[in-house]
Amino acid sequence: MALSEPVLVKRIPTPPWGDPADRKYVGYDHFTATGGYAGLKKSLGMAPKAVVDVVKDAELRGRGGAGFPAGMKWSFLPPEDGGRRFLTVNADESEPGTFKDRLLLDFDPHLLLEGIAISMHACRLDTAYIYIRGEYHHQAKTLQKAIDEAYAHKIFGPDSILGLINNFWPQCYVHRGAGAYICGEETGLLESLEGKRGWPRIKPPFPAVAGAFARPTIINNVETLAMVGPIMERGAAWFKSMGKGRSEGVPPTAPASFGPKLFGVSGHVQRPGVYEEELGIKLSTLIDKYCGGMRPGSKFKAAIPGGISMGVLGPDQWDAELDFDIGKKYSCLGLGTAGVIVMDQHTDMVAVARNIARFFAHESCGQCTPCREGTGWMYKILSRIEAGGGTLDDLDLLLELSGSMGALPGTTICGLADGANWAVRTILNKFWAEFEARVSQRRSKVSLAAAGGR
Amino acid sequence: MAWIAKNSAGTQIERREQPYLTDELKAKFEAEVLPRYPTRLAATLPVLHELQHRYHYIPYQAIEEAAAFLGVAPAQVLDTASFYEEFWLEPKGKYLIMVCQSLSCELLGHGSLLEKIKSKLGIAPGQTTPDGRFTLMTAECLGSCGTAPCALVNETLYENISVDNFDRVLDSLQ
Ligand SMILES: Cc1cc2nc3c(=O)[nH]c(=O)nc-3n(C[C@H](O)[C@H](O)[C@H](O)COP(=O)(O)O)c2cc1C
Ligand code: SF4
Ligand code: FES
Repeated sequence: MALSEPVLVKRIPTPPWGDPADRKYVGYDHFTATGGYAGLKKSLGMAPKAVVDVVKDAELRGRGGAGFPAGMKWSFLPPEDGGRRFLTVNADESEPGTFKDRLLLDFDPHLLLEGIAISMHACRLDTAYIYIRGEYHHQAKTLQKAIDEAYAHKIFGPDSILGLINNFWPQCYVHRGAGAYICGEETGLLESLEGKRGWPRIKPPFPAVAGAFARPTIINNVETLAMVGPIMERGAAWFKSMGKGRSEGVPPTAPASFGPKLFGVSGHVQRPGVYEEELGIKLSTLIDKYCGGMRPGSKFKAAIPGGISMGVLGPDQWDAELDFDIGKKYSCLGLGTAGVIVMDQHTDMVAVARNIARFFAHESCGQCTPCREGTGWMYKILSRIEAGGGTLDDLDLLLELSGSMGALPGTTICGLADGANWAVRTILNKFWAEFEARVSQRRSKVSLAAAGGR
Repeated sequence: MAWIAKNSAGTQIERREQPYLTDELKAKFEAEVLPRYPTRLAATLPVLHELQHRYHYIPYQAIEEAAAFLGVAPAQVLDTASFYEEFWLEPKGKYLIMVCQSLSCELLGHGSLLEKIKSKLGIAPGQTTPDGRFTLMTAECLGSCGTAPCALVNETLYENISVDNFDRVLDSLQ
């Protein structure tokens, strides 16, 4: 299995099709001359519902981390009531290891704008807000330049080719965040867009029903929307000819892994970077074929499949197939954003866990006690272990803590706490011996485990 | 930490005669920013970004002015401003150096980079040099993991930093 032609990176020179040194901004003219906006033109000739059906048929899953089927999300919108409806594009990209959306924003922002315009037509959304992380100064400017070009060519704005939507000429705006990872969580993003602190909301109601400004809202990741133009242009069957498809034993109604995906690889490899491949590519192939292998003197020890919230793959998972169903198969949380962090034999896994715990402790928004306190204590305990002051009990305590915080155990509002606990728990489980060697074997009289603590 | 709360209500704030939110800025916001959103409150982040861009931090007086302009309580704007890491409520150095300390950067040597900057500038993260030139901060992932280690200096991102080349960058910032 290998991607036969580039899709998302069609205009962005990327190995094996091109040299990253040749990358430059793809403007409107270059974009349209190479088939851009053809998917939009085709969509505009179709009824909105028919466009949603194509995306549904393609079984396009969200590329922002959760893998939720985009077509299904679009069909959750209530019927039109004459009022406003919004699109919010998630360009917050703040999870360590994740830098794939940036590639599209830097070089081919029109691919995103095409997807935005199609989804606005399909879902009857009158205004799109692209929520971009504050640190992406350069990317926000590039995006604005592309948006200005799109307005000049009547993709958006007065007399737009989309026509009036909910009695408005469709608009597309950049909205800059200001340095808070939690604003990548979809309802944190909405609060932030509304001018408040980015505190995630309790769901339901889901954003499709009451999202931005309490109106029906669709939230999609940059890469998800960028995929929509090519799908509309070439059809669902073409999209489904790529990727791993449905894993064995998965019922036909369950979401599967179709299509190409951006993989951002960092860490101890020769050539880190963003590469495009089919879902289901082996980790080993990604590293050997695209990244030129491990660095000289480095041997593979572990990898994080996609953003640090997903947990780790261990030394024996070198050949792991990277698709959306990776979680159950390899005991991690999932594929996430496919921001792969590769680690070699010299990596101290205790330090890795400490680094990750610090991130989540720092970024917890503080609403839910298990997350605010739990992430903080994880960081403290891991720092203590790293400094040589930990005991065996600390390892039990970490496991107990991580099993009790998160939206999956049902103790928190959002998934940040799940990310923290999966990361720490999988590192601990897969590298238990390394942790054991670092702590003193002392146990207090009543160990937590013995006391039924977990 | 995003959830650490703000100053008490009794805090005295520094004031100056001329407003931070000038009539010219207000007119610009009315024309370019407010029409984008169904509520005035939603313009909070854009307004705060612009204020910070102009004054390099957001003085409390400016928060009051922004609140009056947006038609909300000052506490509402302060609540928002204090939540976000990028908004500065205190003055900082001319150059703000944010060194990424997240995982990919730690794996590829952010530690020695940070040590070098600390010893060169004689300050720890969170501090400003006495001449007001540099403020040093650590940052979480800057979205540049493939070109780690990296640091943001004001609005410019430096990637694939080696201790030596960053030394030259710092020397060039006057
Ligand atoms: C703590 C947290 C942070 C998140 N950060 C991002 C992010 O930076 N970018 C993103 O696209 N999705 C992020 N997500 C996922 C979003 O909540 C949401 O699922 C996604 O944007 C939906 O788009 P998609 O269906 O197209 O993937 C985050 C989720 C959580 C729980
Ligand atoms: S889980 Fe954590 S980040 Fe999410 S809402 Fe609760 S406290 Fe905030
Ligand atoms: S980890 Fe430093 S930029 Fe992502």
